Amino acid sequence: MLNPKDKYLQIAFNRSLPEVKTMIDLLPSSERIIIEAGTPLIKQYGQFGIAALKKWWIAKVGKSGYLVADLKCLDRGASEVEAARAAGANAATVLGLAPVETINAFIKECARAGLDAMVDMMNVRFPFEILGQLAVLPAVVILHLGADEREASRSKRLPHEQIHRLKGTYDRMLISVAGNETEREVRRAFFNDADIAVVWRSFYDTPDKTADLARAFLEQI
Amino acid sequence: MAEKIQFKRPSAWFFLGLIAFLINPIFVLIALIIFSQRKKILLNIASQTAKINGALAFLPVVRTEAKIPDQPAGGKLNRPLRLDRRKKYLQIALNSTLADAAAIIAVRPPSERIILEIGTPLLKIYGVQAVRQIRIQAPDAYLVADNKCADLAEREAEMLAAAGANATTVLGVAPIETIDRFIFACEKNRLDAMVDMMNVADPLAVLKRLKKAPAVVILHRGVDETEFSQEKTLPYYQIKQIKGNFKTLIAIAGGDTIKEVQQAIFNDADIAVIWKSVYKASDQTAALIRAFLREIK
Repeated sequence: MLNPKDKYLQIAFNRSLPEVKTMIDLLPSSERIIIEAGTPLIKQYGQFGIAALKKWWIAKVGKSGYLVADLKCLDRGASEVEAARAAGANAATVLGLAPVETINAFIKECARAGLDAMVDMMNVRFPFEILGQLAVLPAVVILHLGADEREASRSKRLPHEQIHRLKGTYDRMLISVAGNETEREVRRAFFNDADIAVVWRSFYDTPDKTADLARAFLEQI
Repeated sequence: MAEKIQFKRPSAWFFLGLIAFLINPIFVLIALIIFSQRKKILLNIASQTAKINGALAFLPVVRTEAKIPDQPAGGKLNRPLRLDRRKKYLQIALNSTLADAAAIIAVRPPSERIILEIGTPLLKIYGVQAVRQIRIQAPDAYLVADNKCADLAEREAEMLAAAGANATTVLGVAPIETIDRFIFACEKNRLDAMVDMMNVADPLAVLKRLKKAPAVVILHRGVDETEFSQEKTLPYYQIKQIKGNFKTLIAIAGGDTIKEVQQAIFNDADIAVIWKSVYKASDQTAALIRAFLREIK
């Protein structure tokens, strides 16, 4: 499980499985790195993809290897969590814009399965409104600027100002910031007290530079 | 994605090589070196894939029928099927296992008004292999891949098109940029774009912000919503609202009784989606599907 006193770099993988295997081999063995089976990868390969990444990551860093299945669940919270658990995931994501019944079922099922529940607040203007309706709080809230949003609307920014507000209200909940593309953005996320910074684009674009990219991002922690 | 390097061997190469050899043997030596390096790269990716399949075969908890698929099929399948605006359709959502899906597909009555949906759970458990297998089993069917795209619209639309889907879904709660990109990507890939309005209070407001209307709008009451908040009703009133403003087909999902399907069609829905009655294959499956089909006129 994640240590609330530590900061983490979460690397999301979306390329083909043979490429991802090579990329994981190139990663430094750091306790600060957690890996993510990206949503397109899961839709391409299913449970098999999640299990493959988990196996390779454990082979690299040992049993403490932590993997997030970026399911972006919108409905049937229970069945998607079970699928992720069976594949070896340590955490799974549900959309903040899902019906509150789904988010509640998802968090409950994660607790039963021993996974960390992460609520992805992509396109949510007021995360507090969502969190206030939940029966149980998730382990992690993800503040997320989507890739399509970012490309189409250069004026949109990562909502760093929400980190302190959320932490001030929910001190046991970890905050993850997703949508970072540069070292500067990762540094800014941690400077604003985020616990996890998620990156994927530069790894996707230049997989052969995985080792250098990982080290450069890790230096921002 | 990895580059797929293919080596073709037309017979003209032999004669070209012979001519090059006669001019200067060094040319042939250089060509042989280049050829061997390219073949090595191709073999490396192939052997990596074989190693992955072998190494993961022992995992008991993962459904082992889901081996690593081959590299995505080059080129799009020939899918002339598009929805006919004058017809009403019954969409059978397949959400259990691939084996159950195959059994249900095998007993479904022959009808142009049946659409097959590869449900989100199938996609997340099996990946696009689910779409490919169902396409092989039902080559003439209209297939909806219930992708529920929330980001990276172009990537996901292309992936489902390459797998053989006729239509795929994007979430109405996704950023508007994603929905716009999705609709355009679907058009480019000859797919029907469906916007799933689950948990969207005002679908009309979302549609008004789009650059282009989708082929289908899905008004959807979720499974968890239905189970935990039974007072929530299906939003039939929104059908006429949307049809009055946009040239789009309407699908109603989340109603699984004959009465709810009747109400959907009565309220001018074009597609009624069912899943509970077809979750597992049984002796009753064919009869149940026929009963629902009778309501789709």
